[in-house]
Amino acid sequence: MLTLNRYSWWLGAMVGLAILLGVAGQVGVLSPVQGVFLRVTAPFEGIFTGIFRPVAGLLSSAGEVDDLRAENARLRVENEGLRNELAQRQQDAQRIKELEAALGLAQGDTSQSRLAANVVHRDSSPFSDVITIDRGSNDGIVKGMVVTSTQGSLMGTVTRVTPTRSFVRLITDTRSNVRAAVLGGEGADGILRGNPGRTLTLDLAQGDIKVGDTIITAGLGGAFPYGIPIGTVTSVEGSTQDLFPKVTVEPMTRLGTATTVLVLMSFVPETLDTGSGP
Amino acid sequence: MKALGWFAAVFLAAVAQVTVAPLFPVAGAVPELVLLTICLAAAFSGPVPVMVLTPLGALMLGMVSDRDPGLLLLAYLPVAVLGALLEDAPLPLGHAARTYAMTLGAGLAARTVLAIGAMLGGAPAAFGALAADVLLPGLFIDIVLLTICYVPLRLIGLEGSGFRLQRGRYFASL
Repeated sequence: MLTLNRYSWWLGAMVGLAILLGVAGQVGVLSPVQGVFLRVTAPFEGIFTGIFRPVAGLLSSAGEVDDLRAENARLRVENEGLRNELAQRQQDAQRIKELEAALGLAQGDTSQSRLAANVVHRDSSPFSDVITIDRGSNDGIVKGMVVTSTQGSLMGTVTRVTPTRSFVRLITDTRSNVRAAVLGGEGADGILRGNPGRTLTLDLAQGDIKVGDTIITAGLGGAFPYGIPIGTVTSVEGSTQDLFPKVTVEPMTRLGTATTVLVLMSFVPETLDTGSGP
Repeated sequence: MKALGWFAAVFLAAVAQVTVAPLFPVAGAVPELVLLTICLAAAFSGPVPVMVLTPLGALMLGMVSDRDPGLLLLAYLPVAVLGALLEDAPLPLGHAARTYAMTLGAGLAARTVLAIGAMLGGAPAAFGALAADVLLPGLFIDIVLLTICYVPLRLIGLEGSGFRLQRGRYFASL
């Protein structure tokens, strides 16, 4: 008891400071200081990343040689199939253009303006999965913008912005939830959530969902545009009597190893608090 | 001079937490480098530097990551108290054993506080996953890293410090 008495003044002061810091963080008082601090840490980040990323890559590759060989063989086959599919799609697109021209339809501009950014940090603390990118409000990024991989798969959303950096909450973060749907699933949808083991589950899933189905953003709630690919269904558990089956989803992109991401600059998230989004 | 060294160590630990630690996960868990540095400061410099480094470390890690610095501060608070409690406890523990026990206890408390904070912020209340995916592998990697740092520091002749806060020594060691 004597031990605790000696620390009581300090503990009290620290609890008070913690509350103060929590409030300051919520109202954004710390943002200017954070911007300056991130500038100071930038050179150290470069040094650490330059030294340790190749080492991690080497260790990772050494332990996964057999897996990589098998994956390479599978990807070759998949690549061939995709090339064939692409050729078919190009023919279809050409045919659609001809039909649209014949019907006099004007095609809207569906292109998205994207900004490339490098991943400079990753914070994998318990129950959270957040990356930091080297673009901020100086580049036009605002809170809520959607971030994808270089191939266009959903990675997360911007949750905090400083002049030169932005924090992106990944879809595997346990606080993340995304209204998602099954591609071509005729109304099959649910809410995609991250789990503590950095896996994804489709909660409140309804409709006919099968292993191998592609999950995309549903576009509901205003936090994400419709149709961004997210992942593939890897398991569906539960009997026919279960109200909602347990659906596990594997992200299309390897979130942990991404070094470059794209920010959708042309999509402005709605500010309505609908419960969807980060 | 020693205080400046610990300040630099905590700063580098905060940067390494978001640049190096995620590159070497063990069963999906990563070490708490700032917490480990504070534990080492407690072991080799006593409680006074810890009382200064704890809020600084929480603030620096909060700045460099997207974590709430207030929650981090609450998570790191047990280090100083645990060290003193272990020293006062009627247990035949040497300095190394006390350091290991303090690190284990502080790691356990910090991860639990951070997880509860995340749950209050909207994460699912998955206590099974907290134990299996966060606590066990996280504490294991903390202990491995502590050994890698503690043993060489003792071998090069650094003396272990007492954990108890003594009257009249608030500013003496700064």
